[in-house]
This record gives sequence, structure tokens and C-alpha cells, in this order.
Amino acid sequence: MKNKCPGVSRRSFLADTGMGFTGLALSAMLFRDRARAQGAAFLQPHRAPTAKRVIWIFLCGGVSHLESFDVKPELNKYAGKSIEETPYQHVLATEGKDVIGANPKHGNRKVIMPLQCGYNTYGESGLVVGDWFRHVGECADDLAVVRSLWTIHNDHGAQLTWQTGRHPRELEHPTIGSWVSYGLGSENENLPEYVVLGVPTGDCCGGAFTHGAAYLGPEFAGVRLNVDPRNPLPFIRQPENGISSEEQLANLSLLGKLNHLAGIDYPDDANLRARIKSYELAFQMQTSIPETLQLNRESEATRKLYGIDRPETKTFGEQCLAARRLAERGVRFIQLFHGGGGGGDWDAHSEIQSNHTKLSQQVDKPIAGLLHDLKQRGMLDDTLVVFGTEFGRTPGAEGTGRDHHPQAFCAWLAGGGVKGGITYGETDEIGFHAATNRRYVTDIHATVLHCLGLDSRKLELPGRKRLDMDHGEAIHEILA
Amino acid sequence: MLRRTSAYLLSLCFFVVFILSGSRSLATPANKAALEHHFDKFLSANLARCTTCHLPSDHKDPQSLNEFPHNDFGARLRKIRSEMPDDSRDIISRLKRIAAEDSDGDGIANEKEILLGHNPGEREDAPTSDSLTRWPAKLKDFETFLASYHWRPFQPVKRPTVPRIKDTAFARNAIDHFIAAEHEQLGLNPRPEAAKEVLLKRVYLDIIGLLPTIAEQDAFLRDQNPFAYELLVDKLLDDPRYGERWGRHWMDIWRYSDWGGWSGGNQIRDSQPHIWRWRDWIVESLNANKPYDQMVREMLAGDEIAPEDPATVRATGYLVRNYKMLSREQWLEDTLKHTGQAFLGVTLGCAKCHDHMYDPISQAEYYQVRAIFEPHQVRIDRVRGELDRAKNGLPRVYDTDTNAITYFLLRGDERKPDTNRVMTPGILQALGGRFDANNIALPKAAAFPDRRDFVITETIAASEATLRKAETKLQTARENSEDARAAELGHQVAKTKHDELLVQLKAEEATQDSHEWSSTARRIVQLQRKIAVLEAQLKTHEAQVAFGKSEQKLADATRALNDANETRDTEKEDGTAIAERNKAAEKAKREKSEAEKRLKEAQEKLAEAEKNAAAEPTTDFKPRSAEKYPDKSTGRRLAFAHWIANEQNPPTARVAMNHLWLRHFGTGIVPTPADFGRNGRAPTHPQLLDWLAAEFMSQGWRMKEMHRLILKSSTYRMASTTDSASSAIDPDNAYLWRAPARRMEAELVRDNLLHTAGDLDATMGGPEIDQNLGLTSKRRSIYLRIGPEKEVEFMKIFDGPTITECYVRRPTVNPQQALALHNSELTLREARNFAAAVWNNHPAEKEFIRASFRRLLVREPRSEEISMCRDFLAEQSRGRSPERARENLILVLMNHNDFVTIR
Repeated sequence: MKNKCPGVSRRSFLADTGMGFTGLALSAMLFRDRARAQGAAFLQPHRAPTAKRVIWIFLCGGVSHLESFDVKPELNKYAGKSIEETPYQHVLATEGKDVIGANPKHGNRKVIMPLQCGYNTYGESGLVVGDWFRHVGECADDLAVVRSLWTIHNDHGAQLTWQTGRHPRELEHPTIGSWVSYGLGSENENLPEYVVLGVPTGDCCGGAFTHGAAYLGPEFAGVRLNVDPRNPLPFIRQPENGISSEEQLANLSLLGKLNHLAGIDYPDDANLRARIKSYELAFQMQTSIPETLQLNRESEATRKLYGIDRPETKTFGEQCLAARRLAERGVRFIQLFHGGGGGGDWDAHSEIQSNHTKLSQQVDKPIAGLLHDLKQRGMLDDTLVVFGTEFGRTPGAEGTGRDHHPQAFCAWLAGGGVKGGITYGETDEIGFHAATNRRYVTDIHATVLHCLGLDSRKLELPGRKRLDMDHGEAIHEILA
Repeated sequence: MLRRTSAYLLSLCFFVVFILSGSRSLATPANKAALEHHFDKFLSANLARCTTCHLPSDHKDPQSLNEFPHNDFGARLRKIRSEMPDDSRDIISRLKRIAAEDSDGDGIANEKEILLGHNPGEREDAPTSDSLTRWPAKLKDFETFLASYHWRPFQPVKRPTVPRIKDTAFARNAIDHFIAAEHEQLGLNPRPEAAKEVLLKRVYLDIIGLLPTIAEQDAFLRDQNPFAYELLVDKLLDDPRYGERWGRHWMDIWRYSDWGGWSGGNQIRDSQPHIWRWRDWIVESLNANKPYDQMVREMLAGDEIAPEDPATVRATGYLVRNYKMLSREQWLEDTLKHTGQAFLGVTLGCAKCHDHMYDPISQAEYYQVRAIFEPHQVRIDRVRGELDRAKNGLPRVYDTDTNAITYFLLRGDERKPDTNRVMTPGILQALGGRFDANNIALPKAAAFPDRRDFVITETIAASEATLRKAETKLQTARENSEDARAAELGHQVAKTKHDELLVQLKAEEATQDSHEWSSTARRIVQLQRKIAVLEAQLKTHEAQVAFGKSEQKLADATRALNDANETRDTEKEDGTAIAERNKAAEKAKREKSEAEKRLKEAQEKLAEAEKNAAAEPTTDFKPRSAEKYPDKSTGRRLAFAHWIANEQNPPTARVAMNHLWLRHFGTGIVPTPADFGRNGRAPTHPQLLDWLAAEFMSQGWRMKEMHRLILKSSTYRMASTTDSASSAIDPDNAYLWRAPARRMEAELVRDNLLHTAGDLDATMGGPEIDQNLGLTSKRRSIYLRIGPEKEVEFMKIFDGPTITECYVRRPTVNPQQALALHNSELTLREARNFAAAVWNNHPAEKEFIRASFRRLLVREPRSEEISMCRDFLAEQSRGRSPERARENLILVLMNHNDFVTIR
């Protein structure tokens, strides 16, 4: 269809297809609340941005911080000993700190388990990374690792916390992706501004809320896509005896007009706004999405870089490559889930060695490939990549695994606006507590918004009270 | 951030300890719980500790709080007990009694100290004069708290008094009083009643899930009766389509799932085939207004309640649905988890590996509940008209092993049963009530379902049919041919088998080891031996024929080989043909010797069978293949069901009413309908929910009465239009100052596309429809298959039910829905049918537009809309047929926001 009606952008599509004065006035009315809420700052960054878009990688289930980006050799030294027998017994005194409904069983995870993989130093920065992430380790000088994170919930509902900053008990709240979408709007009107790839968190632990927009309205929620270009979206084409693209265009034009008109009585209806947008987007996406997802247009070398040539890295490699292509085309926020569904694949209560070995193989090369590729294309300068999980894992053993550990975990950022090759914050010697420069989940959100030139306090909505905790504070020490 | 964190820490303290009622436990930890219970948010974090009543000990790791010495406050709390009357010694009464005393002698009363955040048992810890100035304000707040309604979902329902309200004009019934009381409290202005056409659409979709036809619209809009709306509600509740609409709601909650598995159902991995019988039971029960408590009992123990009644037994599909071929562990885990959540709103599943972290459920109790379900298994009984249970049948549960043992699993790990801890069946103590399970003797029809009259009749009829087939074969076989001999033997086998079946049936009626039984048994043995002989004869005959053929084949092959050898002497022959024929002759030789061997074996078997037949007959016959099960059931599930479906069980009625409310208003009074515990969300209108629960039970647990109340309330009838003042106070409409706008669920979208075009097939019930027919079938969506990896994509896109867990649907808006509704063959076909049908009745453009708006959007078009549509038709008719233009217009209206939106 694109060939037949070139250059039809969403706004011109509305304006040019006979909306006329009434239609435009109504359209303005529908959107007035949002405009009013944001004042003159509407769709304008609040400060000079250092990044234009975000690739938000999320590993579901809780990746061990101890064997990834916060390696603790002391665990090898005291392996098999109870924490109480080590010089670090004091960590137990404040065990349940900050966690709501702390796991009483944690007290039983006292016998220290040695590191389950080796580790190495990388790059000029000499970043220490566990062997499960050796490819990402090669990118050490581009990473800003935050090692002093803590979260508030000790079960996988913390996956929702990572996206919203709130305890899962509080259910639906805007995710960081929806704030970005709300705050920046679209760079490419043929694509959604917020795209979700991979299998998201299961219903137990946030489900659709992990890519929702809550009170911002569904128009700012993430749009899930499959990376298969043959079937990226069901019903993307008309059936065989269907209507022509001209008829489709005429239909959508009339539909837009009728829907705007019907909104007169319901000027505050977020669902109506979202539905109008969804039709415009659906129409554009019929051509833009299959084109974007044609990963076979990439060179063999590029595909290899992401590990698409190997069975274990193929799935996530394709998602990472799709993420780059979406980023290239101006999608603002790409949320990439790995190991989703249920509590999450990384949840290694037992057999952590085989679990994390297998799963890290699936993601390590693709993520490193993504960083390399962004860099070689000059995109890393204005694309921010964030790597995270919901919590860390206990230094003490749970049989052959490690238990949930909300008291400490780590994440890293790379690209647009953050320094490379640095670490920020520290946990104690056995990785039990975030000790120095403790940071909460929303501090990562604030850092992301800062890089995008947004000030979350200027994104206030009338009648929506946000807490200090929701805003967080940007980690200025890692900003370039 | 710090402020927020400390608030969380405070709440943490409330969550970790459950408050047992004071009288249950006199152990000292209850004091701490009682303090929290009584003072709630007023108890500062540093007082929500054991040291409020106890002095710290030097003991490093005390095993029990009893080891601590009491402080003055704790000692007084204990001592006051003996001074109080027997019936009011509970901890709350005692706390109240010593509130004004000064236990530690620092000059400040206990209550004052506690409310100001100081320890009433520690003399050194006394409020400063500065903090004492905050006392009056604090006390006022506290008194307000004490006077407020306390939500106690785990204590039996007590009917709250209906609040008085100022704006009595708003209230039609008690529901409105509760809602209006909150309006007045918060300063919200309820919206006026919705326009008649808006209400009409809302109530049709809510009750029967289908849009009103134009005739139905006219009937209501023209009705001058002041009670027209009430009459309409009554009429719709009596409509059998109510059962289909609400059946799907309850199927969400009770996790309906069709079977999962492979290759045409040859391997069933999840749920069971024919589970649709349970779906039909749900629909029929709702239409019959069957009491909810009875429904719960039938689902958990229908086989124990009415073992001979398939109509009741099918209700146990609720349990059958959890069947998992690959893991009994997962099967039972799902059963427990969702039984806890669906009926009680408690997250029982959390206690599988550890004591529940928020609610009063111990890990041991989890395994006690598991012991209730341990003996049960699934099976498929035969149903009238079909002996093949793969084709049709009744999936149900039964207790297979009354001695099934449940062990306590360490950390919930099935590999680590604690064999020293055998769990007896039991219930959750914190919810009160009793559990009395007694073995139930089952009637013969249940234990031996193949002895039911119709199964016997049909089994005999099937045997007769086989016999008739053998007779026909015999008659058509050529005389003296090999076939004739085979047919004759085949007929004799069929006849003898038929005789045997009849005698078997006779033996089943006789008392075992009686004289009659013995002679019948001997007769069966004789017949079974005769069958063996006949079958061996048939086999021998067949082997004989096969051997003859192999001899002939060998002779032919040998001749061919000889011919080739001769040809070689006379003509050019490179040896290829000879080699081939040599190979063929070798093969024929091998086959002949194999046939010979088989013949010999058959002859030996025949000789053995004949020898057997000549022996004196015994009574040791082989019984016919028939479904036979234990003749008793443990009664555990029935006892459990009685405990749940009970007026004294605190959450049962509340949970049910919350589900009802949720599906009328889009959000539950408790927003987390499957979690009424401390990890769930607090209710917005706790009193209303308690009142609804009380009313529900006093109405005999009948749901239609409760629908009626809700639907006839002013609260339900409000418009969904906005009000800026109220919106500023309550932007989420949590306090219902307006009707919430909702989107049609997936089923409604599909059903109404069919319905408005006049294509909906109204047939009710029966086997589920293949998921690949989702876009072509004309039946209601409730009948489409939904199982593991088997669902209709169109439904999924509109946030259709997920089979794993679906206590609440979460409608989204996304481009996928736009594509599905605009590009699917379903919409396209229905738009075309709709356009043709409406044009047929309204063959004028304006009337066509008007009728289409009314039928699809249940409202008149505005003049501006009419002109937009006319312009569209004019534009689209250029170069295309006017029919095509009209079809496209309908396609647009089917995609209109007002089509899928319930205002």
C-alpha cells in the first residue's frame, strides 16, 4: 500500500482526508488534556537529550549478580562456611531491610556457595565479569555497571517493579516505556513508539502490566511484535476476496472522522484516543512492519554478529537485531524480554550452574552483537541500552541453586549519554547488601529519562500523585 | 524516597504477622499481633515489635518468645485477664481496659504512649512535652479509625447497617446508600441516569451479551411504563442467553479448558475430551438459578452427592480440567491453588513450599488440603448412544484409592517427602469451620457404570450387529471356496462370542460363588474355550490358505527361473534376469518356509485349544472388558465442599459477590478478586461487599436476585459521561461517581458481528467447535475450543480468556485489534451479509444509514454523521457498485469505537 499512497503520515492522513475544520477542532479537544498537562513542554524534551531511544533488555527470573557483573571472589574463599563463620556475619543483622514480606527462609541460605563460573577482567577499564557473560565482557569499556541496586519485593512480582518502580501489590502503574512514549511521542509515525519483543513476564508476576501504561492510557502501552516477517502481526493483510488498498484508505478516513465526532460526549476517554491511534498505526504498520522485520536483508556478517547462525542464539539474536532495526527507524522504546512467562527462566533455585550456563549462552553473544553493531553504525551515540533483571540471587546456597535476593543486584547501561568502562556503587564483600551508593529501581528510570532529556517531574498529570520514590534520582556519576 | 521507604517498612511489619483472634492463643506473640490489630497504622514501627510487651533477653537465639521476661505493660495485660468476666477476656477487651492506666509509672497513660510512639512498658521511654501537644489531634484521628468499618475478610460475614445518606433522591436500593455515602464523604457528584438507549445497550450486553435488535430497541424506547427498565432486566435475566453470557464469566474464574494433546486426541495431556459437558452444566445451572453453594458442592463432589446422576456428576469437570498427564504433582498443585483462589480468594498455592508469608496458612495445612484431593482421579463414563468413549463420554472424577497417602513435602519438593509426616485431610484453621469426612458407599451404577441398563442394552445391540455382519458375510461367500470356510468360522466365532456375552452379563448379576454363579461361570469357561478353538481353527484355516499360496508362488518362481536358464542357452542374456529371478525364487522359498512355520504354530495352538476344551470346565473365566471402580468414596471432597459452601466460611460469599460486581462494573470492590489476603488490595467499599455477601446468603445464594439488585440500582444506571470536579477528586472512578465505560470482551465482539448481521446460530450446548473454525463457525464464542495450544487467534487478540488463570480480564487497545476487526474474513463476510440484509429492508440511502447505526451502535446517527456517510457512499460508488460501497460503510461501522464500547 505504501507504494500507492506514498508519504501519508499519521497527522497529514487525518488532516488531509477531509477532516475539515470540525474534525480538527474535535481532534484538538480530544488531546487537550494531555497538552494541558504538559503545557508548552508537550512533546518537547525538557533539556538537551543525549539519547533518542532506549533498548531495554530484561532477563526474567532473577540473574545472579554474583556471577555476572558483580563478581565476589570471597565466595570462593568461604565456600561451604556459614555466613556467621565469616568476617561478614554482620550482613545478617539487617537481612530483611527494605523488602516487603521478606522471605523468612532466607535465614536458611547461610551456607556460602562458591562462584559457579570463572571470571575475567576485560578492557582498559579492567571490568570483572563472570564467564557466563564473556561476550558482553568484551564490551566492558562501553558499559556503566550499577552494582548497588536493591528492590522492594522478594518474589517475581519484582519484574513488575523493575518496569514501574512500584511494589507488585500496587498492580498497574505506568512503565518506564510508557513514560518515554508519553513524554517523547513518535519519531516515526509509521511505527509504534513503544515496542515489546520476546515473551513478557507471566500473569503471576505482572503480566501485561509489565508493558502497560496504566493511567497514561492504552495509547502509550507497548505493542507486542513477533520477529517473524511472514507473520509479524496477525491479520496484517486483507483476505483473498478482500477490499483494495484504496477502499481501505477511504474506510480508515471515514472511521477516523466518525470516531472523532463520537468523542464529543466523552472528551476524556483515553480508550477512544488509543483506538483512533491504533487504527492509524495499524494502517501504517501493514507496510512498515514487514519491511522492518526483514532480517534476511542484513548481511551474513551482521547476522553472525548476533548469533543468528547458531541454534542456541538464534531466537534472541533475531530479537536483538529486530531491536536495532526498530531503533534505526525511530522507535523510542524497545523492551526486550528474555526467559519470560511464569516466574521466569532465570529463576535458578536449583542447578544454577546448568541453568545460567544454558540461558547465558542464549543471550550473551546477541547482546554483545547488538552493542557492537550499534557502535559500528554510530547508533550507540544516541541509543541507550539498558540490561536488567528483577533481583539478584543469594550468596548462600539453596541446594544446588541460589534463592531470590532483593537486597542486592546489578544492571548496566551503555550508549547515549552514559560513560563507558565504569562501575558505580558497591555491595558488601559477599554481595549480600547493596552497601555503597545504594540505588533503587527508579533511579535507573530517572537516569534513562535524564538521557532522553526528560524530567519526570514535568510529566505530571493532574490528579495523579506521584511519590518521590516514583521519580527516583538520576545517577549523575555515570552520565557522560 | 526515605519517607516512602519507612512507610513500606511499617507496612512490612503489619504483613509478616497474622492476627489470630485473641481468644484462640494466649501465647504472648499474640499480644504484638493484637496491638497491631487494635492500633493499625497508629502503631509506630518501633512499637510493632516484641519488646513492646517483653524485655529483651541476653539469650542469643531464643526458641520462643516465652523465654523473654515480661515488662510492666505485658505483665499487666496478662494479669488483667483474671479480673475480667469469662466472655470478654479477649486481648482487645483487655487492651481497652488498661488503655488509661499507666503501667510503667512514667506518668503517661498507656494509650497515650502507644499512640505517640512510645513504649508503655518502659519507664525511660516517655513522650516529651512537645510531642504531647500532638495528642488531641492524634486521639481524634484514632477515634475516627476505631469508628470506621473494619474489613475482616477472614471472619464470618456480618450484615452491616445500611448507611444514611443526605441525597435520598439518588438511592433506589441499599447498594446506592453504600455508594452515595462514599460520594458524600469524598465530595463526588454522581452522574445522572444514562440516556435510555445507552442503558439499553449496556444492559443487553451485560445480561445476554448481545446487542438489542431494532425491534427490541423500539419496544423499550417506546414503552411508557415507568418500570419499563425493571421489566426489561427481569425479562433478560430469564433469557437462556443469560446462561451463555455469564457462563463464560464463571468459566474464566473456574478455569475452563478443553483438552490438550496430540494427533487427533490419541494422547490427552491436559484436561479431558468431552469436558464441554461441564460447560453445559454451568450454563444450565445459571439459567436454572441454581444456588451458588450447591454449584460449588457439585463441582467439588458431584460424584459423591449424586453418584447415579450424570447431570450432576458432570459438574466435577471443574476438577477434571486440572488433569495433567505429565505430572500428577502439577495436577494437584493447580487444583489446590485455584480452588483456594476461585472460591475463597486465598492464595493457597503459596503455602506449598513454606508457610504463607502474608496470610494465616501454614505449609502443613496446605498438605492437609492436598490429602483431600489425593485419592481422586479422572475417568470417562459411557453415555447413552455411544460405546466408544473417544467419540463421546462423560469426563468426571472419582476416588480411586481410599488409602492414598499424602506426605509433607519438604520445601514443596516432590523429591523430598517427609515420610514421617503423613498428613490427615483438613481445612484452613484460620477460616474456622469443621471438616467431617466419612466414607460414602457408592451405588452399583457408579462403581460399575457398564452395568447400567442402557450400556448393557447398547453392548448387546453392538454384539448383535457384529453377529449380523458375520451372517451377511456368510451368506454372500461363494460356496466351497476358502472364503466360505473363513466366513463360516467367523460367523461361529461371532455367534459364540455373543452367547458368551449374554452369559457373562448373567454371571455379573449372580452372587459370586453361589451355585447359580458357579454353573454360569463354568458355562462361560466352556464358551471361552470354544471361542479359542474356533479362533484357532480360523487361524489354522488362514495359515493353510497362505501356505497353499506360498507353495504356488514358489512353483511359479522356480518355473520362471528355469525358463530364464533355458533362454540363456539359446539367446543373449547377460545374467541380469537370471539374477533377479533367482532372488525371487529365493524369496518365495523363504516365504514358503515361513508360511509353513506359521501353519505349524497354528496347528499346535489349535491342538492345545482342543485339548483345553476337552478338559473338565472350571469357574475361572476371564471377565469381559468393562469399566469397574471402587464401590466407595472417601467423602473428603464432599466434606471440604460443605466447609467452603457454608454461610460460616468467611470469604466464600464475599468472593462470589466480588466477581459478580467486577463483571458489572469492570473492577471488583476488592480489585484483586483472587486474593482477599494481605497481599491483595484493600476493598473500596468493604461494607457494601459484606452487605452483598449477607444478602446473597439470605437470598439462598441465588445469583439472579443479586444481579437484579445491582442492575436496578441507581449506581448501575448512571451515565458514563465525565464531570470535571469529580474527576479531579477520583480520576480512576474508584468510588463510582459515574458508570465505567468498558470494551466488549472478545466473545462479545465476535458474537455481535454475527448477531447484528443476522447470522448467529443460536444452538446451545454440545461438543466444542474446532479452533480452526473460529472465523467461519456461526455459533456463539463460548462454544469455540480453548485449550493448551488450541485457541482462536481472533479471540486472543481481543484479550480473550487465558486458560491458566483468568480471574479478571484486562482489555487492551492496540493495532492488532484494529487489523483483526478490519481485515479478518469474519468481519468482511458479516459486513457484506449485514449490508445486503439491511438494504433489503431499508432500500433508501438515509434509512439504510439510520438502520445500520441503530443496529450496530444502538443509537441514531447525528446529522453530521449521516452526511459524512452519504458522502462516503457517493464517493465509493464511483467506479464500484453501490452494494460494495454499502458493504464498506458497514465495515467501517463495525470498526467504530461505539461498536466495541459499552458506555
